[in-house]
Amino acid sequence: MISLDRASLRYGPILGLSPTSFELPEAGGITGLLGPNGAGKSSLIQLLSGLLPPSGGEVRVFGQAPFRNPAVLARLGLVPEGDRMPSGLRADRWLRMMGQLAGIPAADLPAAQARALAIVGMADRAHLPFASMSKGMRQRIRLAQALLHGPDLLILDEPFNGLDPEARLILMDLLRTLADGGVRVLVSSHILGEIAQLTDRILLLFRGRLLAEGSVPEIRQLLDRHPVELRLVGEPLALARWAVEQPELAVLRVEEEGVVISVRSPREILPRLQAAVAAGTIPVRSLDPLDLNLDAVFQYLTRDNA
Amino acid sequence: MSAAPSPLATIRATALGYAPRLLQGRGWSLAALVAVPVGLSLVIAAIARLKGLDTHPGEALRVFHDGLAKVMLPIMALVAAPAGIREDLEQRTLPLLLVRPAPAWALPLGKGLPWFLWGTLWLVLGVLSLQSLGGDPSQLLGRVLALVGAWWGELALLTLVGLVFKRGTLWGALYFFIWEPLVRVFPPFLQRLTFTHHIESLAGSRATDVKAHQMLAQEQVSSHPALAFLVLIAFGALCWALAGWQLHRTPIGLAGSESEG
Repeated sequence: MISLDRASLRYGPILGLSPTSFELPEAGGITGLLGPNGAGKSSLIQLLSGLLPPSGGEVRVFGQAPFRNPAVLARLGLVPEGDRMPSGLRADRWLRMMGQLAGIPAADLPAAQARALAIVGMADRAHLPFASMSKGMRQRIRLAQALLHGPDLLILDEPFNGLDPEARLILMDLLRTLADGGVRVLVSSHILGEIAQLTDRILLLFRGRLLAEGSVPEIRQLLDRHPVELRLVGEPLALARWAVEQPELAVLRVEEEGVVISVRSPREILPRLQAAVAAGTIPVRSLDPLDLNLDAVFQYLTRDNA
Repeated sequence: MSAAPSPLATIRATALGYAPRLLQGRGWSLAALVAVPVGLSLVIAAIARLKGLDTHPGEALRVFHDGLAKVMLPIMALVAAPAGIREDLEQRTLPLLLVRPAPAWALPLGKGLPWFLWGTLWLVLGVLSLQSLGGDPSQLLGRVLALVGAWWGELALLTLVGLVFKRGTLWGALYFFIWEPLVRVFPPFLQRLTFTHHIESLAGSRATDVKAHQMLAQEQVSSHPALAFLVLIAFGALCWALAGWQLHRTPIGLAGSESEG
């Protein structure tokens, strides 16, 4: 469905996306595009949705180059970042126009519009002008316009930005439902926790480079290859003595209340720590894993590549 | 999966989709640019008649040339063109249109057409109203065609420069208010590169109204009315086509600034 072969994007002298290669298969499902601001997520989305041509390499969506390609655009729905809408228009009239521009036959348009509005839960409020809509409502209308023509690929750029928790959960459910219905969903975000809840596949971008790709468990395995920080609260000198004997130790920091250790392969050291505490060898009052989550992988990878 | 809409369907959908904008603030401002000067002229003429004074039959011609054609028409273009495709570029809503399978080159005309028709309606009403002040009825059609043709060309020109240049409105204003007035000092060839020349060729030359000291060194030339109208329509069509081509070929991303020159 999507393939990039050393595709890159430049904005004049600035590199938006380094030469990147990956493939997404045809089947439905949700793919998360993770990265901090400026990582290249929007650049990648602009390449995939045909807004910008690649500066180098090749981008293929449904087997074709997407830039100004009606055959690709007819099968693609995009929800760009932000909540900007055309000023002075009503949602239902605007959606009708977007449906016509998507090539939906006039006879099918009312049904398509009603279906899209029902999916996003805006059927009874579509008559409102954009100016009187909340951010969440505008976001739903933006999603409705992307769903009007029943796309095979739905791309959302930072869709959770500015949404309240309830609206986020609703949007997540919606995306899961669409993915279950066979739509391939590509969603970008820098909110790692939400993406981890949502996706079965992650692309990790940083500074215009694809750092990693894989499922959440696969990404989590990266944790083993990178130091993990643990805070051990107890008698500092005794804890430090035990820590320096561990082959996985990368960094040791002694604090007033204990030590902070940075260790590689936490899966190996944690059982030994547990055994030592149980045997009374080291006086540990508490153990705080400082970064044993997906955020940590992200931080480690980005720090390594900074 | 849906098929890509035809260019005509794209123009129709865009024009109808954005038509409600005409009945909002900018649309009424556009109408006022014609209605206010014409209305004031009619009121002044009515007061003069009530006081038993004669109204000069050339007054209508003066309002037409010095008011509508020279000042109001360019301002109308400066007001309406930024509400066309340039508005989507600045509001960053253009990507929503560009990710549709519809032909991108048809979008500028589709967005500009409602403004052209709305302006045309008010210009025709204005010229017809001015006829009550006097003037040769045989030249009425020429005056209508002159304003409509020039409005078509000026709106298209400003739409094009709005897509090509970041400060397109400024460039348009400079053209209208610096280049056009120079028509009186231009040699014949350059006179033909102004809207004023074609408007005057269609609406009737003002040569008899122009004093020798206003002519400076150059003689006013005139084109055949049909040719002048054809030039205005063709020039407008060329500008719409170039605007469409510019939009089609220029990558415009989510930031909305890639097309700015």
